[in-house]
Amino acid sequence: MGPLIPNGIITGDWNFVIAILIGIAFGFLLEASGFSSSRNIVGVFYGYNFVVLRVFFTAVIVAMVGLLYFDYFGWIDLSKIFILPTYLAPMIAGSVIMGFGFILGGFCPGTSFTAIAIGKLDGLVFTIGLYLGIFLFSEGFPLYENFYNSGYMGNVTLTDVTGIAAPWFAFAFTFIALAAFWVTMIIEKRVRKNIKEYKF
Amino acid sequence: MMENTINNNKPHYINPYLGGVLLGLLVLLTVYITGRGLGASGAIKSTVVTTTETIAPSHAENNSYYNRFLSDDHSPMNNWLVFESLGIFFGGLLSGIIFGRVKKIRIERNPKISGKTRLIVALLGGVLFGIGSQFGRGCTSGAALSGSATFSFGGVIVMLVIFGTGYVIAWMFKKLWI
Amino acid sequence: MNRNYIFLTLLMVVLAAGTIFLKEEPEYQQINAEDLLYDVIQPTRYVTTDQIAKMIINKDPTLELIDVRDSKSFEKFSLNNAINVPLDSLILPDYQEYFGIPGTKVVFYSNDDILADQSWVIARRLGFKDMYVMKGGLNKWVETIIKPQEPPETAPETAFEQYQFRKGAQIFFTGSKIEAPGSSTKKEKVTVRRKKKTTAASGGC
Repeated sequence: MGPLIPNGIITGDWNFVIAILIGIAFGFLLEASGFSSSRNIVGVFYGYNFVVLRVFFTAVIVAMVGLLYFDYFGWIDLSKIFILPTYLAPMIAGSVIMGFGFILGGFCPGTSFTAIAIGKLDGLVFTIGLYLGIFLFSEGFPLYENFYNSGYMGNVTLTDVTGIAAPWFAFAFTFIALAAFWVTMIIEKRVRKNIKEYKF
Repeated sequence: MMENTINNNKPHYINPYLGGVLLGLLVLLTVYITGRGLGASGAIKSTVVTTTETIAPSHAENNSYYNRFLSDDHSPMNNWLVFESLGIFFGGLLSGIIFGRVKKIRIERNPKISGKTRLIVALLGGVLFGIGSQFGRGCTSGAALSGSATFSFGGVIVMLVIFGTGYVIAWMFKKLWI
Repeated sequence: MNRNYIFLTLLMVVLAAGTIFLKEEPEYQQINAEDLLYDVIQPTRYVTTDQIAKMIINKDPTLELIDVRDSKSFEKFSLNNAINVPLDSLILPDYQEYFGIPGTKVVFYSNDDILADQSWVIARRLGFKDMYVMKGGLNKWVETIIKPQEPPETAPETAFEQYQFRKGAQIFFTGSKIEAPGSSTKKEKVTVRRKKKTTAASGGC
């Protein structure tokens, strides 16, 4: 019964070996999908390359639906998995700042690692920027410590907050994602340039 | 439709939906094995904490942020995310080699701007993203992707706000990209 | 390519919609505390030794007697076709097959009421219905059925009718007591009951 390591089915010593293997798979998929290029990534915001939409959204719905089936078959104990805690105000603020960072830098941390791997200097500079940003944040922490800790709602799920069961969210996300995929495909066909010229 | 044939100039990428399905399955597998999702910004944070602690240990201990991640038993680098992020680098390298994208060090930019501009903006972007990721308790991989996949309320919020903000402000920085 | 995508889209929609219809099979249904408290206060769970005797004599198929004492006491003496589920094993999943069989009335008994009452509360908590306790337990059984007391002359007519019944029951039980002392016949019956349960509650494995 999953999750395997928290349930002791795999001992914690394997933790880091598994971490590296999973990371390799993650990095491989990111790079193979085209996320090692900043121009590919920001394409979704300018409508010339929808790879981020397609990969990201597909991954979310596959994982969501998959988790629900795993739970139904009794393969995983959902009460033992880590749910990201919600700190409402700081998370929103942080996400806005990350939005700016995303548009300016054209990367996010994971993709910047793959960019470094293939020799992209801008990826390396972005990562250095990440380091500096986190450093600055830590140094100035006392100034906004209260804000950082505000808005704590616990490790709440969508179901906890809305009372709507998880399958409905999975279905809603799936529906929206699939609709978005078809709409963007139709848009791309009309504006033919997206197909070849804007893959970097 | 999406052309995947190898073209001299155009890089060969896998079908994005295939990539997405595999990535989703990877997230599922990760949660199944470890009980947690993927991540990336945490590794950089661990690096920051470790270097600060090495250079100025008492300062690190007195700072209430560094302090959270310091432990007497082990270095902050002895951390799941650090190893996973190392894996990300090697996985990216492997894919780059296979698909022939590992080349000389280069700056990728919109030809309309200079390399210097690109680097400055990348640095700035990184700084902002770094700051934001701490407030946000994660980045797009950890909070948005893995958080949403596990139905976390915070994860979905992060995902919506990052991409929402991106769409709202994209026009301001259009010159950087197209 | 387009056809592939259409197929994949439909597949994904079906899978996602499927999650909405997945029924959770709860391992333990639990009733809420208020209901349980209300039930505990009701005296309706009690059945008399006379009623039980009657059901046994009439070979009432809905009766399921559960002896909640330890196995030693059970082997020494027990009621006809009773199943031994010691109190401390009551919550184990194996034993739960005996409860909740549609159409049966489960009657707990012990030497007096106490263990049986406790078992009743536990079983009720787990959500099983049609549970009863034999009032007075085996002590009462002995008093009324095995060694019924003749009512005094001033007692009402009904008391005498009851005594007549009990005398008859005494003959029935003290005679048939010799018939089924061995655990083998009891065990046979037990396995039949088990099979009944698994066909009734399908799924949830």
